[in-house]
Amino acid sequence: SAAARRPWKLFGAMCLLRLPRITQPMEKEEEEVAALMEQIELEKSHYSDHEIRKLEEEEQLKRKKESLYDEDEARGKTVIMAQDLEEKWEQKFLRFKAAPRITDADKSNDRTSLSRKLDSNLMLLVKQKIGNQELWLLPQVEWQPGETLRSTAERAMATFLGDHVQAKVLGNAPYGIYKYKFPRAIRTENNVGAKVFFFKAYLQSSDLSQAELKADYLWVTKKELGDYLKSEYLKKVNRFLLD
Amino acid sequence: DALLGCHRSYRSRPTHGIGKFKYLLPKEVPKRRREKVQMKEISEGTEYQYGDINIQMTSYDLCLVEHFAQYVHRLCNRLSIRVNESYAMPTKTNEVLFLEEKGSKMQLDAVLTTHQRVVQIRGLSSTFAPILLEIIQSNQPEGVHLLMKQHTEADFKSRLKSRPELEELLAEMS
Repeated sequence: SAAARRPWKLFGAMCLLRLPRITQPMEKEEEEVAALMEQIELEKSHYSDHEIRKLEEEEQLKRKKESLYDEDEARGKTVIMAQDLEEKWEQKFLRFKAAPRITDADKSNDRTSLSRKLDSNLMLLVKQKIGNQELWLLPQVEWQPGETLRSTAERAMATFLGDHVQAKVLGNAPYGIYKYKFPRAIRTENNVGAKVFFFKAYLQSSDLSQAELKADYLWVTKKELGDYLKSEYLKKVNRFLLD
Repeated sequence: DALLGCHRSYRSRPTHGIGKFKYLLPKEVPKRRREKVQMKEISEGTEYQYGDINIQMTSYDLCLVEHFAQYVHRLCNRLSIRVNESYAMPTKTNEVLFLEEKGSKMQLDAVLTTHQRVVQIRGLSSTFAPILLEIIQSNQPEGVHLLMKQHTEADFKSRLKSRPELEELLAEMS
């Protein structure tokens, strides 16, 4: 159908998600249940090989101290005791340092960096000029006849992030739609309003060394979306976002 | 001896075959060990449907993987997606040897077992597939690798054990 007949302008927008790297902290009830289950399992479990060996060696040591059974036991004596092994493992464990869960970006609340909030989804928001206003939106670009909406969304992503973004678009079907009518001043026969179709994509690599074309971008979580988006827009966007 | 002396209904008597009951039970089909042919992919224009899809979960931790597989299975049941099979692949054992060279060469062994569970799904519509993928991905536990791929002959064959004697005989015959 020709675009001239339809008074709506079509846009394709891309919602780029950065997947969480770490699991979210457990709720209070979850922690209690986990601790209880661990205790039950510990009480129900049997001794492992290592523990049996340790107990036997302790008994051997005790018997050696009390009476002289050295000659008999010396034959079956092992070079490395289980206790030594355990101490070695403990030392190794203490030397190991895990990466911090709360990164620097979290502490400084730097919303443009990707390493913030490693346990939740981050979305890309860009400042775009629509009509006369500069608004924070998901990156969107106008649809051109002859291309699929999905490629419009990919083009939108490419214009804001450069060509070599490793993002995986999920499926050909749009996730949501937002339509709005232009204010009366601009409204003509052909241009009543616009419809924005949202697509979702996952960011594969967290390394965005390519230069970003438009400087105003943000990576925000779902809760922080409310700070930037308008309420109607926000409602439609929230419908397809999983937390 | 008491059993031998009991009354046995003779063939001419009306009470012949009085204790029979097997004809009342439903007929049991004898089990055949043949492989089922795989389903073809149905793709009609706007309505896409994937054929058989395997969701493979691998991890070092057995409990995590099993619980996650159970969760995925139940999720598909609730979303009324047909689950063909849900099976486990054989576990692979890896021995890790550390060679420390601080004076005397010490070797510390570690034994790692890799477990794999597969849930096979049929009839996933393409509009719903990315949503399902997102749900599963967002609920993935730490340390579990997820892989979704289409089911192939090779996947099916990998579950079966090879029989070297049979192959030898076949080679000799041909």
